[in-house]
Amino acid sequence: MIVGTRRNRMNHRVIHALNALVIVGTGAVLLLPNFSVGQTPATATKAAASAPVQAAKPAAPATAAAKPAAIPRTPDGKPDLTGYWTNATYTPLERAANVTKQFFTEQEFETNTRNAAVRDEQQTTPGTTGDVHYDFTQFGLDKSQNTFAHDLRTAMITDPPDGRVPAQTPEAQKRSRDRAAAYKVPGAAYDSVQTISISSRCVIYNPPPGPPMLPQGYNGNYQIIQSPNYVMILFEQIGDIRIIPLDGRSAPPPTVRPWMGFSRGHWDGDTLVVETTNFSDRPEGRPRQLSGISDNFKLIERFKRIDDKTINYEFTVNDPETFVKPWIVNMPFTKINGPIFEPACHEGNYGMLDTMKGAREQDKKK
Amino acid sequence: MRLRTAVAITGISLLLGSVPLWAHHAFAAEFDVNQPLKLTGTLKKWEMINPHSWFHIDVKGPDGKVSEWMVEGGSPNALLREGVTKETVPIGTVLIIDAYHAKSGENKAVGRDFTLPNGKRLFLGGSAQNIAPEPGK
Repeated sequence: MIVGTRRNRMNHRVIHALNALVIVGTGAVLLLPNFSVGQTPATATKAAASAPVQAAKPAAPATAAAKPAAIPRTPDGKPDLTGYWTNATYTPLERAANVTKQFFTEQEFETNTRNAAVRDEQQTTPGTTGDVHYDFTQFGLDKSQNTFAHDLRTAMITDPPDGRVPAQTPEAQKRSRDRAAAYKVPGAAYDSVQTISISSRCVIYNPPPGPPMLPQGYNGNYQIIQSPNYVMILFEQIGDIRIIPLDGRSAPPPTVRPWMGFSRGHWDGDTLVVETTNFSDRPEGRPRQLSGISDNFKLIERFKRIDDKTINYEFTVNDPETFVKPWIVNMPFTKINGPIFEPACHEGNYGMLDTMKGAREQDKKK
Repeated sequence: MRLRTAVAITGISLLLGSVPLWAHHAFAAEFDVNQPLKLTGTLKKWEMINPHSWFHIDVKGPDGKVSEWMVEGGSPNALLREGVTKETVPIGTVLIIDAYHAKSGENKAVGRDFTLPNGKRLFLGGSAQNIAPEPGK
């Protein structure tokens, strides 16, 4: 018959995984000062339980002479990024105000993760707007039931050292407001197709899957396919795809501004460097922090495969017309099992039609 | 997790910067918070499609008349990775669903909680190998 209660089952899973982490991570606490932004993360939950060697990897840099892990390579010798990955993490983009250090200890990470799993299970109050939803845990969508990063960083932002997004210039703040006003569609929210979010319309996920590739609430999974001349990144939600040429081509004219900008890549040693320009000026097409970027903004991403199960992902935001100083984000992409189910967003998007029908019923009552 | 936590986390995330969108669309715009329902019916079809799955159930009314309801559930992606298929919950399984009625007035609802007749919650995530509901019970 059906399994036990959700709470029992999930806590069992998380505790099991965390126990594995604690066992293998004991020595890693002592190594924290050696952790750089390129520290070796490991996988928690399912993967940790099944492959505890992953969680043991933070202990690897114990000596300066430790050799880098062997990584898969393509026939032409490049690091092979091909595979299925997730950037799911409990690490926040910005460091919390009450945290002053760069890294948590293994024990703190364990506690934080356990608490987060408990929060995942919290129930809403019947009769409240927030209760009008299916249960994420019932459908296995919360992070604690899926693979997420074992990342001891206290913030994804590794520079500036305070782990916070730098202040925006007054000009950038004005740009952000002007764009929001320019693209605001008249009418109440959910009253028409035009006032519904681009995600609900299956145009592109919001925030988009990149660039930059910030973690998503759920299903933050990617498939990377690599060839000598292109890298393709498929994002599970809505099926958004990035196609990144590696052939040194020029960017299109500034009038061409796709939702995800225009990306071009090249190899810098073992690191894939991707430059993106020509960003759309539509505010919903980017993470909120980048709503005020200038027309000339260039985003730099770096993908570096550091072992069989991990890609270090880094991006740099350097836009003097927008931010008072540059900022850098680091996070692991952790290997997951594929395949990715075909998203086909409109296949069952009954919600759009139902919302419109509901709005018309409300109109009749006015 | 439900939306209360999601809202809370979104609020935090607005401060932190990472804004998770926990749902593909706004459920409170599609379904009426003032029309909670408890539906008991037998599973007729489970559409495991994106962006959200839909359970079709036959519900017998007080007058004995059977009507079909569509109940919205979670995205199938994570379930498929766990080995759940549309056969995992067999046709004919009795489901008791706490739900909210669609604003359109149609026989549609969002299932905030799915329960089996034995009182156990229909827990799909990460437990596919253990799910073997007894049809019709």
